[in-house]
Amino acid sequence: MSGSLVNLIVAWTPFVQPIPGIWNYWPWLMVPLCAGVAIVWKSIKCHEMKRVPLEATVIFLTMIGGLVASAVGLWLLERMVVN
Amino acid sequence: MPSGRLKVPAPIVAVISWLVPGAGYLLLGQVARGLTIGITILLLFVAGLLIGGVHVVDPPTFIRGHNVFNALLQKPWYIGQFFSGAVGLISGWIGPSQPASHARVADIATLYTAVAGMLNLMAIIDCSYRASVAEDDGKGT
Repeated sequence: MSGSLVNLIVAWTPFVQPIPGIWNYWPWLMVPLCAGVAIVWKSIKCHEMKRVPLEATVIFLTMIGGLVASAVGLWLLERMVVN
Repeated sequence: MPSGRLKVPAPIVAVISWLVPGAGYLLLGQVARGLTIGITILLLFVAGLLIGGVHVVDPPTFIRGHNVFNALLQKPWYIGQFFSGAVGLISGWIGPSQPASHARVADIATLYTAVAGMLNLMAIIDCSYRASVAEDDGKGT
């Protein structure tokens, strides 16, 4: 961790300023968002709550897989257009 | 729903569920579902505030004589944030006076808070439906 990032973290005011350094890792922020959507969606849909962990994991992996596939597809398209 | 449990009217369940995410299910006696949904929605909303700062909840300014619909269309993401309940209202009250974040951080944080609110809207609809079904069952027996 660089010294400037440490300084940013020490000076950070939570809820007022953005988390320091998070902008470099913004694609990873989709992971907890997808997990939250999967958990809430399956908690609403499942008749029994004991089925939620398994079904939420399946839909979470499906969402992440779809996002990754979309990213790879768009990257390939961009490569084809550029070249 | 077990007999003897307090029957709560669906509109009251909807309002309570809007104010405190997951609380509607708790009223219906579905503790695990209520806690799971409530904690997840609140975590997503708070994560959004941490990522981008509280200014990401920025309600539209309604001016007397101006079209309310146009004001809403200028900041449509607040519709989603509004449905996260009391935490969304308080953040919308505090947010505009705080410094703004920019670019992707602001976008992602807005997405987190708006998605949390839309998930709570689904939970409001579901638990008020469950409450109305429980009311009908009570009338039928």
